[in-house]
Amino acid sequence: MTTTPDTAASTPPPTADWVDPLAMQRDPYDTYDRLRDLAPVVHVPALNRYLVTTSDACRAIESDQETYSARAGGAAATMVRALGGTPMLRRDDPDHATERGPVNPPLRPKRVREAWAPLFERNAETCLAALLEKGPDEADLDHDFAAPLAAYNLVDMLGLPMADPQDVRRWSHTFIEGIGNIQDDPDIWVRCDAAQREVDAVLDDLLPRLRAKPDGSITSALANAGLTDDQVRANVKLTISGGLNEPQHMTTTIVRALGDHPEQRELALSDPARWPAVFDEALRWCSPVGMYPRETTRPAVLEGFRLPAGAALGVVVAAANRDPSAFPRPADFDITRPRQPHLGFGSGVHRCAGHWAARIAVGEIAVPLLHQRIPTLRTDALRAGNWSGWVFRGLTDLPVTW
Amino acid sequence: MPRVTFHHDGGSSEAFDIAAGMNLMRAAVTNGVRGIVGECGGQAMCATCHVYVREPYLRALPRPGEDENEMLDRVAAPRDPRRSRLGCQVTLDAVADEIEVDIPVSQT
Repeated sequence: MTTTPDTAASTPPPTADWVDPLAMQRDPYDTYDRLRDLAPVVHVPALNRYLVTTSDACRAIESDQETYSARAGGAAATMVRALGGTPMLRRDDPDHATERGPVNPPLRPKRVREAWAPLFERNAETCLAALLEKGPDEADLDHDFAAPLAAYNLVDMLGLPMADPQDVRRWSHTFIEGIGNIQDDPDIWVRCDAAQREVDAVLDDLLPRLRAKPDGSITSALANAGLTDDQVRANVKLTISGGLNEPQHMTTTIVRALGDHPEQRELALSDPARWPAVFDEALRWCSPVGMYPRETTRPAVLEGFRLPAGAALGVVVAAANRDPSAFPRPADFDITRPRQPHLGFGSGVHRCAGHWAARIAVGEIAVPLLHQRIPTLRTDALRAGNWSGWVFRGLTDLPVTW
Repeated sequence: MPRVTFHHDGGSSEAFDIAAGMNLMRAAVTNGVRGIVGECGGQAMCATCHVYVREPYLRALPRPGEDENEMLDRVAAPRDPRRSRLGCQVTLDAVADEIEVDIPVSQT
């Protein structure tokens, strides 16, 4: 697991000229397996970067931010372009810690349980009522439950009661589209610019009020941490991006996986202590954030492969989470696996700040509530749902019946 | 130079000289010590760098802060009211320049 240059013992990474980004968009897992079989890090000309696909190599990168910087530039600068500013996720320590520190206290598990869990429960009940209203012939778990629930929860945690949850959904999906826009589609940037202006308009009004009268929200924590307005705005937009799309995808992924594995569904329903393992396994099995960028600050050797300074890397945690050397039978969804760390939330200082909130909101509240109230809930075989994406991956729809 | 000894379940141990100001999680992860995960990189957010500090070394350490105390309620192995600490929050320096800790059987 060395990252110090030892050029004598190292070789350049192999090149994979056969990688087809469009095929990855549909289903990246075959590509991930082939890349991993070649080497832990492989040069992929079609993506203009190196892809890192093993568990050990991804962890080595995340434990050395001096060599592998999050301040990825060039083609990897999509997040800064999408959000119109540099959020903490594209900074290294100590700059990163200045912005990350303030959001940690409202997101530790005790505060999440005391302050947010009652709201998560109320929101889940509201969305469940809407799903039931839609009925077993037309209900779509993504549109009628997962997306609105993630939006309501996010509005509460960010403290944006004046924002329409529908708008928050649109902003999030637009920013996520932009962050994943490594093909540089100009139409996506136009939509991102418009979403930035709408969020800025909300914050123009909100930030002075939160500075005069702080509350327990994440926006308030950022606004009262001595950061500039630009820093606060970029990080609120980051939270809107990851705080909605990812919990939305986790909700539908879990329901789909349990629907496809009725014996495991029965196991969870008969023993509620298993719900945390259900969440964890779904996050490993189909990680909603599939890849994020890093850039070498100096020549480096990663798992025996030589990288130049300035190399654009894609840390493919979705592939690392299916690495057979770390997880036996990696493609199988199996909630009875022995518990072990995976990279679904990332690792190191950039590990998802909302990981406790997600575990509790989705894994302990929303998904168990759905299955308890609708014990026969299952994927509607007549109206199949669709998986999409690799940088971000999830179901675009999930017709359900009961 | 401060020195840390990690004791594994089963009796084996590993000792390292570390830079003053370094925390125990970082010392373990950079030296590849099994049983210390440190998922969050040292922010007291994940509770996967749990250690049991051996009695003779407890007195030289400041007490856990509020964040650490809260996260110690989330550790996977049983919490010891005196000896449990998060490795990322324990730093060796001129005052506490030597420490021995036991690594719990589980961090997740």
